[in-house]
Amino acid sequence: MVAKGKKASADAVYAKKTTRSANPFDNSTAQSSKRGNPFDVHVNKEKFKILGRICKHDRGMPGVSRAKALQKRAQTLGQQFAVKHKTNRFKDNRIGKHLSGDQLTESVMNARYLAEKMSQVRSNQKAEKFNLNDDELLTHRGQTLEEIEQYRDERSDDEELDDEALDADFTAAAHFGGEGDSAQDRQAAIDEMIVEQKRRKNEIAKEKDEVYDLTEKLDANYKLLLPLVAKVTKDEQDAKPPPDAYDKLLKEMIFEPRGSVADKLINPDELAKQEAARLEKLENERLRRMRADGEEDEEASVAKPKHRSADDLDDGYFLAGEDDEGDDTLAYDLDGNLGTHLNGKKEAVLKGDENEDDDDKEGEEEEEEDSDEESDSEVDNLSDLKESESESEPEEAPKASKKKAKKSADTIPASLDTSIPFTIKMPKTYEDFTELLSKHATAQKAIIIERIIKCNHPKLEGVNRENVVKLYSFLLQYLKDLFEDASEQDIREHFQLLSKLMPYLYELTQLNPERMSNTLLEVIKEKYEEFRKNHKMYPSLDTLVYFKLVANLYSTSDFRHPVVTPCFIFIQHVLSRSRVRTRQEISMGLFLVTVVLEFVSQSKRLVPAVFNFLQGIVHMSIPKRDVEQLEITPPFERDGPLSKLLALPANTESTKLEPQQLQPTDLVTQTITPDFKVRALDTSLLLIKEALQLVEEHVGACYLAQPFLALLSRLPLESYPEHVHQHHKDATELAEKLAAQKMKPLAPAEKKPKALRLLEPRFEAVYDDKRRPKMSKAKEERAKLLHKIKREKKGAIREIRRDTSFVQMLRLKQTLQSDKERHEKVKRIYQEASVQQGELNELSRAKKKKKF
Amino acid sequence: MKPLTVKVNDDTGKSLAKKKLQSKANSLLNAEQVDIKTLKGFVQLLNTPDNMPAGEVMNTLEVIFKNLLKRKAIDGTEKQGLKIKKLYEETWLLLIENLLVDSQCSVAVKVCMQLIKVEAKHPIAPNKGWPTYWIRGMLETLINSDTTPTTALANYGKYCKNLDVLEITLTQLKSLVPDEDFKDSPIKAMNFLSIVNLLDMGKSVLSTADYHVESAKKQTFNYELNRKRLNNLWATIMAKGNEVDEKLHRQILVVLLERVINHLNDPIQLTDFLMDSLHQFDGPIALLALQGIFTLMQKQNITYPDVYEKLYNMFYPRMFHNKYKARLFYLADIFLTSTHLPENLVAAFVKRLARLALQSPTEDAVIMIRFVCNLLLRHTGLQKLIRASHAVDEVSDPYNQTETDPVKSEAINSSLWEITLLQKHVVPEVANAARFINSSLPVMEFDLAPLLDRKECNIFDDELQSKAKQFALNYERPTNLALPKNQFVTKYWDLI
Repeated sequence: MVAKGKKASADAVYAKKTTRSANPFDNSTAQSSKRGNPFDVHVNKEKFKILGRICKHDRGMPGVSRAKALQKRAQTLGQQFAVKHKTNRFKDNRIGKHLSGDQLTESVMNARYLAEKMSQVRSNQKAEKFNLNDDELLTHRGQTLEEIEQYRDERSDDEELDDEALDADFTAAAHFGGEGDSAQDRQAAIDEMIVEQKRRKNEIAKEKDEVYDLTEKLDANYKLLLPLVAKVTKDEQDAKPPPDAYDKLLKEMIFEPRGSVADKLINPDELAKQEAARLEKLENERLRRMRADGEEDEEASVAKPKHRSADDLDDGYFLAGEDDEGDDTLAYDLDGNLGTHLNGKKEAVLKGDENEDDDDKEGEEEEEEDSDEESDSEVDNLSDLKESESESEPEEAPKASKKKAKKSADTIPASLDTSIPFTIKMPKTYEDFTELLSKHATAQKAIIIERIIKCNHPKLEGVNRENVVKLYSFLLQYLKDLFEDASEQDIREHFQLLSKLMPYLYELTQLNPERMSNTLLEVIKEKYEEFRKNHKMYPSLDTLVYFKLVANLYSTSDFRHPVVTPCFIFIQHVLSRSRVRTRQEISMGLFLVTVVLEFVSQSKRLVPAVFNFLQGIVHMSIPKRDVEQLEITPPFERDGPLSKLLALPANTESTKLEPQQLQPTDLVTQTITPDFKVRALDTSLLLIKEALQLVEEHVGACYLAQPFLALLSRLPLESYPEHVHQHHKDATELAEKLAAQKMKPLAPAEKKPKALRLLEPRFEAVYDDKRRPKMSKAKEERAKLLHKIKREKKGAIREIRRDTSFVQMLRLKQTLQSDKERHEKVKRIYQEASVQQGELNELSRAKKKKKF
Repeated sequence: MKPLTVKVNDDTGKSLAKKKLQSKANSLLNAEQVDIKTLKGFVQLLNTPDNMPAGEVMNTLEVIFKNLLKRKAIDGTEKQGLKIKKLYEETWLLLIENLLVDSQCSVAVKVCMQLIKVEAKHPIAPNKGWPTYWIRGMLETLINSDTTPTTALANYGKYCKNLDVLEITLTQLKSLVPDEDFKDSPIKAMNFLSIVNLLDMGKSVLSTADYHVESAKKQTFNYELNRKRLNNLWATIMAKGNEVDEKLHRQILVVLLERVINHLNDPIQLTDFLMDSLHQFDGPIALLALQGIFTLMQKQNITYPDVYEKLYNMFYPRMFHNKYKARLFYLADIFLTSTHLPENLVAAFVKRLARLALQSPTEDAVIMIRFVCNLLLRHTGLQKLIRASHAVDEVSDPYNQTETDPVKSEAINSSLWEITLLQKHVVPEVANAARFINSSLPVMEFDLAPLLDRKECNIFDDELQSKAKQFALNYERPTNLALPKNQFVTKYWDLI
C-alpha cells in the first residue's frame, strides 16, 4: 500500500515535472471503489506549515471512525450493559480461556484435562468414599493391561494364518466336482474334512506348545548356565601357554632395537655450511648485545620505508617483503610444529639455555648440528667426549705444529712425549699444582693442563664441577705468580706459556661461564682495590695479563658486560692517572692501549684515554725547548724532563734501525734506550692509525684526529729510520683525512606525521523544533514517561466520556423503548376501554330505545 | 720526639693486655690511698714503647685521672697530692706527644678532651674553670709538627664544633701565629692554616650551640667578639702571607672561602688579593680566587666584567686532574644559572664542555654531559645546536677551540657532534647519558650535586653492582695469545 502510494506520488511528481498537458483534468486519477465519499472526509486545516513536522491528522473520516468506535462499544460495553443485573450468566472458567488458536499449547490442554479429571473426582467423592481400591484401572477389552502382559503369548500367530486357507486338493474336490467319486455323500465329505481340519489344528497347536515348552526350558537352563560360562571364558583368556623357545626368539627378533641410530655421515661441504650457520647465529647475537638498549638499530632503520603517509593507520601493512621479519603471526612450519615466524624473539627467549648448550658443546669440541641441539642427549655428549679422549693425543698434534711452524724447537709432536701420565689427578692444593707444573717444560705444562681438564671433565662426574673451578683459580694464581715478578730473562717464556694455556683457559671458561667469570672478576676487583690505593703507580704486569685474558675469553664488544665493562673502567683509570716515567710504564701503557684496541675492535667504541695516551707518547717524542709548551692532558707533563722522555737527542744516529715490534722485555726494564724510543714511537704511530681507523665511521671523528695533527707535524723525523717515516706518513694522512671530515648539523630524526585523531561520529537526534531542557538520561526517560502518562490519561478520560455517553444513549434508547411500549399499552387499554365503553353505550342506547 | 709504636702480634695478646690494665686500674682506684708507684708505672707504660698498646694505656689513664680529679685527689697541698699532680702533668705531656702519632692521635685527642672536660668541672686549686692551657699546649704541638697531622686535625675538628672549644682555640691562635713570615716556614704556616680551617662559625654550628664543658654554657658565645678576633687573625694572616708558594696560597684561599669571608667586616678589601690571585695564577688558585670574587659579586656588588671569559678559560683538559674540579663545576653551574646571558656566550661554554668530555675521565664526562643538557634546558635558544633544520649541508665545525673570548668562538653556529660521538663511549653510563639528544629533552634539570663527588672507583663499583650477569663469551676459540681476528697485541708486540 505504502509502496503503491509512494509510486503514485512519484508518478505524480514525474508527471508534473515532465508533461504538463493542456487539460487540467487529464491527470485526475480514476475514482477507485475504495475511495469513499469525499463528503465523509474531514480536512483539518493547518494554520502554519512547519518545516520538518509530520502531521498525521491533516485529514480524517469522522463518520467511519465514529461508526467503528460505536461498533466496538456495542460489542463490549453494550454486551455488558445488556447483561447487567441479569442472573443467568454464562461463565467460561476453562483454563486459558482467553487463549485461542496457536496459543493453546499441549501444556494448556493437559492442564485442562487434569482439572477436568479433578473435578470429576471431586464430584464422585461422595460415592467413592468407601471404595478401597480407588485407583482407576485401565482396561482393554475388560482385561487390565497387567493381565494382558502376564499372559501374553510370545509365540507369534502368523503361521496359523497361512494355514487358514483350504488346501488345493480339497477345493479342487469340493468346488469343482473332483474326480467324480460322488459315491460318497457330500455331507459326509464335508464332515470328514472338518474333522480332518480340526485334528490338524490340534496337532499344530500341540506341536507349538511342545516347542514353546522346550524353548522355555532351554531358556531357563541357559539362564542358569550363563554366569558359569562367562567365568570360564574369562579365565581361559587370561591363561596362556608358556612361551617356548621359538616364541621367545621370535619376539626378541621383533622387538629388540636394531642398534642405535647413528648420525648421518656428513660430508665436509655440509659440515662447513653448518659451521658457518652456527657462527653467523652467534655473530648476530653478539651484534645484538653490542647495541645499546635504546640505540637505534641501523639495519632496521634502513629496512623501514622512509616515507609514510599521514593516512597510514600504522596497522603494520608495509611493503611486501617486510613482513617476514616483523610479524609474529601464528604459523605452522613444515614439520607441523606450531611456531612463530619471529625468529629474533624466539632466540631471545631461548638464548639463555641455548647459550649454555652451545658453551657446553664448544667446550667439548667441535661442531654439532643445530638440529641436534634440541635433541641433544647426555649419551651423545658423552660418546663425543669418549671419542675426543681417545683421540686426544693425535688431535693436538697438528694444531700445535701448525701454529708453531716457525718455532722449530717446538715442532716435536706432543703426543710423542711419554713422560707425562695420561691421567692426572686434580691437585688438591695450589702448592701441589705448582709442583706438578714446575717439573715440566713449557710445552708440556700445557699438555698437563689439557689432561687435567680431560680427566676432570664435569660431564664425567659431578664432583668435577668444583675441580674445574679450582683448576681455573689455580691457573689464574699461577699466571699472577709468573708475571708478578717476571724478569728480563724469563718474561718471553712466560708469555709463551700463556699463549699455550690460552685455549685451555678458554675451554675452562666455557665449562661454567658464571663461576669462572666470577672468579676472574674477583681477581680483577682485588687488583683494582690495590690500584686504587695509589693510582699514580701502574699496576703490576699480571693485571695487564688478566686484561689480555679478558680480551681473549669474553665477548668484549657487548654494550654492557659484567666482566668487560669494569675492565674498561679500570684500564681508563690506569691510562689517565698513572704516571709515565720509565720504559716499563711507557710499554705497559702501550700494552694497555693495544689490549683496549682489541677490546673495541668489533664494537668500535670510543675510549678517550687511549687517544690521550697516544698523544702523550707522541708528545714525549718531540724535543722541546724549555720555553715552549704544547698542550697535553695529564698524566703527561707539559714541561720538564719527563715531557721529552722519548725524544731522540740531536746527535744520535738511529736511522739504521730495523723495524721492530715492542719486546716483552720492555715491560720489565726501566732504562730508556734509543732503540726503545724508536720502537715505542713507531708502535704508537701504528696504534694511532689503528685507533683512528676504528673510529673512522663515527660522526665527530675529527675531534679525535685533530689533536694528533699538531703533534705529528712537530715530530723531527730526520733522526728516525725509514719505516718510521712511512708509518708517520700513514698516520698523518689518516688524521688529516679525518680532521677534514664534514658533518651534517644535528637534527632530530624525522618523525612520521601524526595521524589526525579519529573521532567517534556523534549522532544527533532529528531536529524537531522542540527545545527541551538538558537532562540526564534517567530524568529524560522519566519526563518522557510522565508526558506519555499525561497523554494517555487525556485519552482515557475522553474514552470514558464517550463510554458514558454511549451508555447514556443506550439507556435513553431503553427508556424510549419502554415509554413507547407503555404508550402503546396505554393506547391499547384506552382503545379497549373505549371499545368497551362504546359497546356499553350501545347497549344502554338499545335499552333506552326499548323503553321508548 | 720518638713516636710510640707498639707492636702487638695478635688480637688475643691485645685483649689480654687490656684486661690486665683494667684490673690493675681497678685495684688502684679501689685502694683507699692512691698508690703513687703504680700510678707512676702506668705513666711510664705510656712513655716507654712496650708491648702494651698505647691506645689502651691512654684509655686506662683517662679513667684513672678522671676518677682522681673527681675525688679531688690531685688537689691539696700535701705530698701525695703534689706527686699526683706532677704525674698528671707528665701524662699530659705524653698525651700531647701522642697527638702526632698517626695511629694514636684519635685516641689521644679523645682522652685529652675528656680530661679537659672533667678538669673544667673539678678544677685543680690555683686554676679555675676552663683549662685553656692544655688546649694551648695541644695547638702548639699541632702547629709545630713537621708534617701536617691530618688525622689529629680531623679529630680535633670534631671538638671545634663546640662553641667553647671554638672560642678558646680562636683566642689561643692569636698568640700562636708563627713569628716568621709564612714563606719562611711553610709547614708551620700550613699547620696553622689547617687549624684555622677547623674553626667553623657557620650558622648551623651557632644555632646548634653545643658546649664541650657544661659550665661554659653560662658565658654564652659572643659572636661579635669572636668575629672581631677572626678579623684580627685574618689581618695577621694577610700580613704574613706574602709571596707564599702555591700550596700555601691555595690553603689561604680555602681558609678564606670556607671559614673567613662570611665573617669579615670589610670583604671589599679582599678584592685586590683575589684579583691578583686570579690573574697571576691559573689552575686551582685562580679557581678559588674566582669563587671569592663570585662571593664578593653576590654580597658586595662589585663588578667584574671578564668573569665569564676567565671562567671559560678555566675549562681545559688539565683541569680534570685538579683537586678543585668539583668546585669549578659548581661555580660554573651557578654562574650560568641566569637565563639572561647571551646565547653565544653559553653556546661557547656548551661546546667547550662537550669537547672536554671527549678527553676527560669517565666521571667528568658524565657531569659535563648532564651539565650541557641542563644548559640546553635553561637556554632554549641553544637547542638549535642539536635541532638544526634538515636542509643544511654538511660543514666542518665552525667552533674555534683556541679562541679565548667565548663570544667570538662561533659556537652558536656549530652543532653538538661531540655528544653523538660520546654515545659511542665505551662506558655504558656515559653512552646512556649522551643519548639525551636523541629524544626530547627532559623536563627537569639534572641535579649535578651527587655527581660532583663521584670518583672513578665509584663508577667501577656501580658497574659491579649492576646485576646484568650474563657472561657472554667469545665464540671463537683462541689457539694462542692472538685473537682469531683483529689481533693487535700479537701484531705490535713480539711476545711469543
